Amino acid sequence: MSLQKPTLKLELVTKRYGDFTAVDGLSLQVSPGRIFGLLGPNGAGKTTTIRMIVGITAPDEGSVELFGRRVTPELQNRIGYLPEERGLYKKMRVGEQLKFFSELKGFSGRPAEEALERWLAKVKLSEWRRKKASELSKGMQQKIQFIVAVMHDPDLLVLDEPFSGLDPVNVELLKDLVLELKEAGKTIIFSTHQMEVAERICDDICLINRSRKILSGSIREVKSGFGRNAVALRHAGGDGVLEDPLLVASIERHSDHLEALLAPGADPQELLRRLLASGARVERFELVEPSLNDIFIEKVGGADNE
Amino acid sequence: MSKFLAVVKREYVQRVRSRMFVLVTLGAPLMFALFTVVPILIAGIRAGGPTRVAVLDETGKLFERVRDSAATGRVGDDDDDDEGGEAQAAAAGGAMNQNTKARLEQAAKAPAQSYEFELVETAGAPPGEVRARLDERVRRDELDAYLVFPRDVLERGEAEYHARNLGDVFTRGQMRGAVVRAVRDARLDERGVTPEVMRAVNQPVRLKATKAGGGAGGEEDRGQGFFLVFGAGFVIYLSILMYGQVVLGAIIEEKETRIAEILFSSIRPFALMSGKLIGVSLVALTQFAIWGVVLVGLGAYFAAKGMAVSFPRIPPGIFLYLVLFFLLGYFIYATIYALVGSVVTTAQEGGQLALPIIMLLVVGFYMAFPVIRSPNSPFAVWVSMVPFFAPITMLIRIVSQTPPLWQIALSLVIGFATVALLLWLAGRVYRVGMLMYGKRATIPEVLKWVRQP
Repeated sequence: MSLQKPTLKLELVTKRYGDFTAVDGLSLQVSPGRIFGLLGPNGAGKTTTIRMIVGITAPDEGSVELFGRRVTPELQNRIGYLPEERGLYKKMRVGEQLKFFSELKGFSGRPAEEALERWLAKVKLSEWRRKKASELSKGMQQKIQFIVAVMHDPDLLVLDEPFSGLDPVNVELLKDLVLELKEAGKTIIFSTHQMEVAERICDDICLINRSRKILSGSIREVKSGFGRNAVALRHAGGDGVLEDPLLVASIERHSDHLEALLAPGADPQELLRRLLASGARVERFELVEPSLNDIFIEKVGGADNE
Repeated sequence: MSKFLAVVKREYVQRVRSRMFVLVTLGAPLMFALFTVVPILIAGIRAGGPTRVAVLDETGKLFERVRDSAATGRVGDDDDDDEGGEAQAAAAGGAMNQNTKARLEQAAKAPAQSYEFELVETAGAPPGEVRARLDERVRRDELDAYLVFPRDVLERGEAEYHARNLGDVFTRGQMRGAVVRAVRDARLDERGVTPEVMRAVNQPVRLKATKAGGGAGGEEDRGQGFFLVFGAGFVIYLSILMYGQVVLGAIIEEKETRIAEILFSSIRPFALMSGKLIGVSLVALTQFAIWGVVLVGLGAYFAAKGMAVSFPRIPPGIFLYLVLFFLLGYFIYATIYALVGSVVTTAQEGGQLALPIIMLLVVGFYMAFPVIRSPNSPFAVWVSMVPFFAPITMLIRIVSQTPPLWQIALSLVIGFATVALLLWLAGRVYRVGMLMYGKRATIPEVLKWVRQP
């Protein structure tokens, strides 16, 4: 997956605050043009990791390399950052505010003016340009903050919980914009503890918990590596087959189908063959992948989530 | 560099355009007028009719003298220091009371108070009974006060003043003056001094005050000098206080709203902090410039109308010093405010923690009084070298009695070195503190941030 040089490379990064180790020996690589999910429960060290990536803090140990170099103020101009804890100047007009933030990214003048108009139109807030931020609803403010992150056309976009608190319509709107940016070749780091969202848009993920990396890789690799085999089944007859403990570990009955968790090492093809051989009528036979949520809960444990 | 300028520009433009700026620019001179002119006007109001005073004169020599002396309305022109002290205390404490006191005294002099004196006939009654009767009349509101001159008043110099309202320090002061003059005249008379000699002796002396070495004009200074010195100190004091709070508010806003997180991902914290400090300082200078232009404009207008408004002659160099020492004071205090702002979590907490800073500034302001009195004393020299006090005290020394240039230079060098040190310190606390949410940092924590690489 990574023949190209990685956009971002963390090597054995450690960050401590006093006695507390927020990030412990974390290594990861983000490839260009992909959406990389940085996942983990609250307090796992996601925000600390992100702060080191965007150059707000420096690691105590290890190295952070962006586009093959250490993060410098010039390099910061190529990053767009939407923090989880975010805000706007309440008394400043939306348009002026956006121009100020893009000026801090070294992006100003005519191009900034055009980008401003374009992005406001995209999030349907053009007529709010001259209003003060305090007059905007929370969802509108969040869309303005999203523009702050993307307006200067960064190569790397870091979004920390970008959809939290948004209504479904706006979640879809922002999600489409993120995918559009990916199409345009941008690299996106996406941090969240909402696994459903991550599952829908991420190419690669890294799951961290308690300051350490638990697993990483493409979604595909992660799921197949999880080693859980389940089959959704609707059938008539052949019940005896399902009782074979060498084949089926457990059964969960749903309203119009059942889910069979296969025994370790069992082959789903073998199950299908045996069912047909026993004369059963199979209406539905589907391999069920574990969801990221399942993996998350299994790896992190429900107890210390939230 | 362009990022730094963007911060300066935002800070400046947003604030100069704000309603608050317009309000303060217009309102501050109005407030100043309100606090200086209105007390004088109010002090000039005398409610009620003439003050009725009975005089129990056991010497038989003082009644006319007191009556006439009070009628001329002259306050005791000699040694009324202790009365003055009380008048000052009465003038409602506060920063301006030296100033106000001087004016109040003028005001008290101006409308000659009217008195009605009556001589008390004892008709051989014992003194105790006479007093009881007088007390009774005061109670019934037939009298406002009464004076008692014991038989030996000329020797022992003790008289009594009984009044319903002892809080009326102006009347009391005038009575005192009248009594002092009456007794003095009576004593002189006893020793055979003729009325002509007395008049000659009492001829008032007017002291014309002129600043020495003030150039050819030798223009008379009728106290404008004092007001100029005091005004300069006061303007600096208030501006530092006000703009220090502005900086505190700006820092806390960025921390509270978490804007700092975005800012820190774009610009170095130190550049951000110093950009804010400089942006706000430019706002203050703009305000000064507006006031200066208006003042000069008004002066020119009145001069053109032929009105005798004698503005004190201000050497232009003083404006330069005013700006320099304002900037010194501003950067010292605003930098501390910035440090405080990055340590606390809410504006209220910031207000509490900023209190010691304000105290320091107030102490510096009160240092102004001894310094005005003797601007070249060793005390004044030392105090004007301490960076926290220099902005007010050194400026006052410059305006009142310009010290040697090396002293001014030394004070500025020490001051700006302190600013550099404070900026470094505040910068180190700021870069960590701005990202710490949730609770106010303890002092050991803050010290650890400073040492952090």
